[in-house]
Amino acid sequence: MSPAVIPGEVIPRQISPSQFAPHPVSRRQALLGILGLGGTITGLALPVLGSEHPAHPVAPLDAVSMLYDNTMCTGCKACMPACNEANGLPPDTVLSGGIWDLPADLNSKTKNIIKLYQEPDGPGFSYVKRQCMHCLDPACVTGCPFGSLKKSDWGAVTWNSSLCIGCRYCEVACPFDVPKFEWDNWNPKIVKCEFCYDRLKKNDQPACTAVCPTGAVIFGKRTVLLAQAKDRITASPDKYFENRVYGEHEAGGTQVLYLSNVSFQKIGLPKLGTTSLGHYATKVTSVIYKWLSGPILAAGLLGVVIKKNWNRHEAESAEQEKKTGLHEQL
Amino acid sequence: MSQPAIHQHDATGSTLVNHWQRGVPVHGEPVITPTLLFFAALAAVGLVLAAVRFFSPLGPFSGMNDAYAWGIWKTFNVMTLTALGSGPLAVGIAAWVFNRHKLHVVMRTALVSGFLFYATGLVALGFDVGRPWNFYSALLPWRWNAESAMLEISICMPLYCAVFLAFENLPLVLERFYYTGSDQTRSVLRDIAPFLRRIYPFVIVGAYVLPLMHQSSLGGLLLLAGNKINPLWQTPFLPLLYLLAAGLCGLGFVIFLLLICSLRYSRPLDLGVLGELGNLLSCACFLFLAVRAGDLIWRGQVRAAFAFDKMSILFLIETVLILIPAILLRIRVARETPRTMLKMATLACLGGMFYRFIPTSIAFIPAHRASYFPSLPEVLMAIGYIALGIVAFLLAVKYFAVLPGEIKDWNYVFRPIPKRQPANQSDAEGGTRWPASLSTR
Repeated sequence: MSPAVIPGEVIPRQISPSQFAPHPVSRRQALLGILGLGGTITGLALPVLGSEHPAHPVAPLDAVSMLYDNTMCTGCKACMPACNEANGLPPDTVLSGGIWDLPADLNSKTKNIIKLYQEPDGPGFSYVKRQCMHCLDPACVTGCPFGSLKKSDWGAVTWNSSLCIGCRYCEVACPFDVPKFEWDNWNPKIVKCEFCYDRLKKNDQPACTAVCPTGAVIFGKRTVLLAQAKDRITASPDKYFENRVYGEHEAGGTQVLYLSNVSFQKIGLPKLGTTSLGHYATKVTSVIYKWLSGPILAAGLLGVVIKKNWNRHEAESAEQEKKTGLHEQL
Repeated sequence: MSQPAIHQHDATGSTLVNHWQRGVPVHGEPVITPTLLFFAALAAVGLVLAAVRFFSPLGPFSGMNDAYAWGIWKTFNVMTLTALGSGPLAVGIAAWVFNRHKLHVVMRTALVSGFLFYATGLVALGFDVGRPWNFYSALLPWRWNAESAMLEISICMPLYCAVFLAFENLPLVLERFYYTGSDQTRSVLRDIAPFLRRIYPFVIVGAYVLPLMHQSSLGGLLLLAGNKINPLWQTPFLPLLYLLAAGLCGLGFVIFLLLICSLRYSRPLDLGVLGELGNLLSCACFLFLAVRAGDLIWRGQVRAAFAFDKMSILFLIETVLILIPAILLRIRVARETPRTMLKMATLACLGGMFYRFIPTSIAFIPAHRASYFPSLPEVLMAIGYIALGIVAFLLAVKYFAVLPGEIKDWNYVFRPIPKRQPANQSDAEGGTRWPASLSTR
């Protein structure tokens, strides 16, 4: 029952000194509290600790793929205008003096390019087609802060203009240097091959594979094309570099696969480990940040210590204030 | 304790004076000085360029390209300079968590400089991103990609600066309003002061947790760049090392700033406080070097570290810059010699800045052959943001009680803001007494 209060009586407001005295919580209690809190959070977090980024991701069964075999490519470049047309890209006429489309590399006007590699001394040469590799666990998607880049249906890596803030982290993260930024546009876009996602939705294949006259680049399910590539290697041993498919394991695996008769590095495909970059970058932080357990734990720990020190500080500064008549500065 | 006893005895029994007792505004100096005008001009150039940049594509303003998509606005103004702005974190944790009472008196110097480093860094970021109008996604949690270090930074950093650092800087602004304002202002402030004090300890918990998160995430950003970054720097320990570098840079810069300002404004030095900071700086340097060395040994990169090629030499310069203050500041005489302290703090800051800058730029080697060097407008804008911070700091130390000084210089008189009614100085001894109602007891 509350004490009787006479109406109209003024109750003097009192500040009890104990308000500023250290909390009546002993060191042991505080420690136990922290351990309990930490234990609960960890216990709740552990079972769901995800394997969102396995070191070696497995391709989903419906993952689409592109297989490029440079021994079949004649360098006709039919895929380049087909790509430009399908994606509404302007011609890059810098090198040709304003006459025709002649990009030097992938850029903000070029999502797909055929390049020529020539042996420095010798007659050997090779073409190479470059476009987005559509990684199974793409670094650009892992890094993209607001999910502008994402792994869409069939594994196509697509870009959404309304979510992109233009931070260009995708360009820093991509091990294949694929995403390009429109440096000369006030409303800049990230330009990269999106596996002709609009055509895929219409049950059509990408423009480049549809137009390729020699079958150097073909479209299909990843499982099918991977098997087909391996068959080609078995059929003609020692024809292909290292007798392996580039993209099967690179950076955790990609959905664009390469067969080459010259070194992959020579035609511009970087030497990469088999672990996905997303796994490397998030294996520690995903544990610390799962449900914000790390920050919450740190806040709890700091909170207990700071509150205790704060109370002591308040008591000391009040004493000091009385002595010197000077207020305490925070 | 913010006001240590005026006299204390050192080990030899002689009496030392604690010269830093509380924040005191700089008096007897004109506000508009050639230095201020010089930095204001630099800031104006940078800001005008930034304004033009907002209505223009990024291309003509920077030397950035698709291979080096991040230029100095990100790699220097944000990733390097916010390490120097980590003083509030480093000194604050020492003072509030590890009970280094002496350091409360230099908190304001750390807080103001830290706030300005963060604020100008965020301005730099605002003009660096290509599609800033989409940033409202930060308010829509369902759009967040929780596994992105970039997301963590783009939310945590503005939040820390605008809420937590701003709150920590609030007392010194309100204090000025109290002494220069009208009776009405004073009564309002009297009413809100107890509330601010009540939430203060809880806010500073956030003010330490957030920078622990985003300063490590700045290193975490570089993990995704994988082997584009030279193996001497690319390591799973990047987040921890970036955090430790922030700690040592923060401590180093507070020492540097205190010494420079005391020199400039002829303030006496407090060797007790400086010695304490020097001691902590040395510990922070050793901790950083221990983790760095352990990491290189664990990853088998020791041979590469001493190969004396370009990357190895960069690594060695960076390490020596941190090693020298680590060792020398263990010597008591060095900690009590202001000249040595200034040199050591400068070396530590440079070393920490090297560590934060190199993996984002010099040791960042994209697959395709490309090069990046900042263009003139890019450099002018980067300098402009820094100059803006310096101008704000020069004004802050004169209008607010930021820099530590002696109680005898504290006479409650704040420099009046031009064209405003000067403070009511009618009270006894030319100042308004601190009201009893605000006392904590």
